[in-house]
Amino acid sequence: MLEARALRKTFARTVALDGVSAEIGDGEIVAITGPSGSGKSTLLHCLAGIVRPESGEVHFDGRRVDTLGDADRTRLRRQSFGVVFQSGRLVPELTAEENVALPLLFNRHGRRESLLAARSRLERLDVAGCADRRPGELSGGQLQRVAVARALVTGPRVVFADEPTGALDSLAGERVMDELVGTARADGTTLVIVTHDNRVAAYADREIALRDGRPAGVIV
Amino acid sequence: MRMLARGGSRRERVRGRLMTAGAALATFLLCVAANLLAFGLGVSVHPEGFLVQTRIEYLGFFSGRDARLLTALALALLVVPTMAFVHQVSRLATATRERRLAALRLAGATPREVRLLGAYESGWRTLLGGVCGVALYLVVNLAVAGALRGAVPLVPAAQLVAILAAVTLAGTLSGLMAGRHVVTSPLGVVRRTPPAGPRALDLVLVTVGAGLLVAGFVDRGDFLRVPYVAVLSMVVGMVLLLFGLVLGAAWLIRVAARWAGDRTGTAETLLAARMVGADPRGWARALSVVGLTVFFGAGVGAQQGPILLRGYLDSSWAVAYLLVDLALLVALVTSAAALVAHQAEDLLDHRHSFAALAASGVPGPALGRVLTRQALIAALPVCVVSAIAGVGVAVSSIWDVYREVPGAFAVAAGGAVLMAGIGVLAATLVARAARPILRRTLRPEGLRDE
Amino acid sequence: MLGLLAERPKHGYELKREHDQRLPGARPLAYGQVYATLQRLQRDGFAEVAETVREGGPERTVYAITGEGLAELARWLEQVETPAPHVSSALVSRVVVAIVAGGAADGYLVRQRAAHLARMRELTAERASGSPAQVLAADYALQHLDADLRWIETAMERLTDLKEEMDA
Repeated sequence: MLEARALRKTFARTVALDGVSAEIGDGEIVAITGPSGSGKSTLLHCLAGIVRPESGEVHFDGRRVDTLGDADRTRLRRQSFGVVFQSGRLVPELTAEENVALPLLFNRHGRRESLLAARSRLERLDVAGCADRRPGELSGGQLQRVAVARALVTGPRVVFADEPTGALDSLAGERVMDELVGTARADGTTLVIVTHDNRVAAYADREIALRDGRPAGVIV
Repeated sequence: MRMLARGGSRRERVRGRLMTAGAALATFLLCVAANLLAFGLGVSVHPEGFLVQTRIEYLGFFSGRDARLLTALALALLVVPTMAFVHQVSRLATATRERRLAALRLAGATPREVRLLGAYESGWRTLLGGVCGVALYLVVNLAVAGALRGAVPLVPAAQLVAILAAVTLAGTLSGLMAGRHVVTSPLGVVRRTPPAGPRALDLVLVTVGAGLLVAGFVDRGDFLRVPYVAVLSMVVGMVLLLFGLVLGAAWLIRVAARWAGDRTGTAETLLAARMVGADPRGWARALSVVGLTVFFGAGVGAQQGPILLRGYLDSSWAVAYLLVDLALLVALVTSAAALVAHQAEDLLDHRHSFAALAASGVPGPALGRVLTRQALIAALPVCVVSAIAGVGVAVSSIWDVYREVPGAFAVAAGGAVLMAGIGVLAATLVARAARPILRRTLRPEGLRDE
Repeated sequence: MLGLLAERPKHGYELKREHDQRLPGARPLAYGQVYATLQRLQRDGFAEVAETVREGGPERTVYAITGEGLAELARWLEQVETPAPHVSSALVSRVVVAIVAGGAADGYLVRQRAAHLARMRELTAERASGSPAQVLAADYALQHLDADLRWIETAMERLTDLKEEMDA
């Protein structure tokens, strides 16, 4: 369903990706692992259509993604993808509920239905109590779960998570992963997680291991 | 202190020079304004040492007292954006300076010392600028006086010193106040959240400022028989009034933003409203000059109404009005610079969350719309209220004239709407100009966690 | 065993059942072991026979902890587990040998990682639905497997340095 072939990407003078290929099936949960600087985030950005590789191809549902223009790729991300970042990256001036409702509002849904959908998402992730609070008032674990809710609220086909537990202690991280993986399995969403933590990688069905921008050993 | 003042980067030196230039300009303008007002004194000293009666015929346009008054007003108007610009520069300089000095904080320098440093840096720069401005003015004055053979009076030295002192004081104060908004911990720079709601202090500021301003205008040199007090009172009054109005505007903006945010069904408006509502004071400061321009523009327009309708317009009046309009335009353009600076700072603070939104599929144009709507939400209430206030003040001051020419109300109302519209339009255009900055912020490199 | 008795007096069957339940990671106890331990405790004066109970089956002896037993328990709890001074894991030997043998190291390490990860996946899945005691045990195993993996990662990065040192 989601496929990358021989991707190559350079930033300034550093080669981030050098001939990386990957294949992710529908509903799979895959971890992209490796030490820092191995190109994991770059691979994620290429797969999600955030960044265009210099050479190589990215396919989603059989269609080529890397040759699309900026507007088309943005639309693809809006309709089919969700993204979770390491530090949540919510808008600090909005409440948790408004933050989660934002993608729906950008998709031109009404205010009431967007806020209702946001609240039910927050309930599913067990952070309904945070709905009316701002990101500044939430703990790291609560923040991340709100960020996960925001990524899931549009019902995406694929969710990309870049070090979702990076800034959390192990118990908070565990809760976030439990909720993320639990919801993904229940909805049949494909999950692509970038992590350097083996315990997070253990939540996935398999891993894609990178080292210095290249695949490390065999894809397990 | 001096040791701490060294070590600034190139950007800081540029900012310093900008501050000096701004202060010089402000002082120059004030001196010229004082000069125009000083005509009423009648007697002046020719450089050759004998008393000369002011030869008013030589002055052409400037012979009319009201024309001089209007021009003085226009110039005083220009001082406001200049000082606001100086204040904005000193705020930006503060943030950079505090980052630079964060290491010193670890070594034990107190916030008060850092703030005093800020005041010292701003103060000495404005003093330098002020001196340049006075020097420039003296040169121009002597040249003109010489050319017109004594028709133009020289402003007494005491008045010049007073203006210099006032500008330097304002500069130092602005440096001190700029430090108040930024709190440094040894770990970095953090914005202090401003208190909500209008405080009693705001009202006091507005009243005192307005009072001083009016007093300065009304007496025009005969005040207590001590001439320079008029100018000083005007300057101080203006500054206080400005601060008071800005704080009041902040409250207005906060209310408007909350109202808009609670009702809207669009993502762009929601984001814009909440972002503006979280920093009403910053927006009020950035829009202060726009608001004042609208205020004066609407007021002058309301004053023009009966004159136009009665056909009393003559060439000198027309020139005076044109000058005032020109001054307003310049003020608007200067305020645009302040607005862009403010939005750029805002974007920088939000780059992480905006980058995340872009990554999850929000198109660039939509985020650009957020910027424009921010300007709209902040500018609309301020401009509308300013226009109404301007018209109100003008109409009430020449009430009898208005009673005779009821049609003038229509002109006044039209003028108010026009001015408010121009103000809002200016703000939104500036927001559009900020889009390239937005594009730069959204590049994927911004997705790396620093 | 003393810990379990400290809760309340129990008979042998109960003790075995509770031990297996609360220490799911450890190997299950055999009855013979239980009674041998109980005898020893009695001999040392830490436990005593409280009563004999009949519950519609064979007679069961209920044991209770003594005052000395409680003191001994307290003393044992105060002791600290000495961190192992020697690195005796088979994993380490295999890795070092693989590196020395040259060439085979990379492939072996990748396979070892795969095996560790597979076991970690099982444990993670189990942990989601286990009792608190099972979660604790799973955590212990997971963190140790993670530690092994991180050491393997370090070893791979030090591969070149290690080779030079060994060749010298």
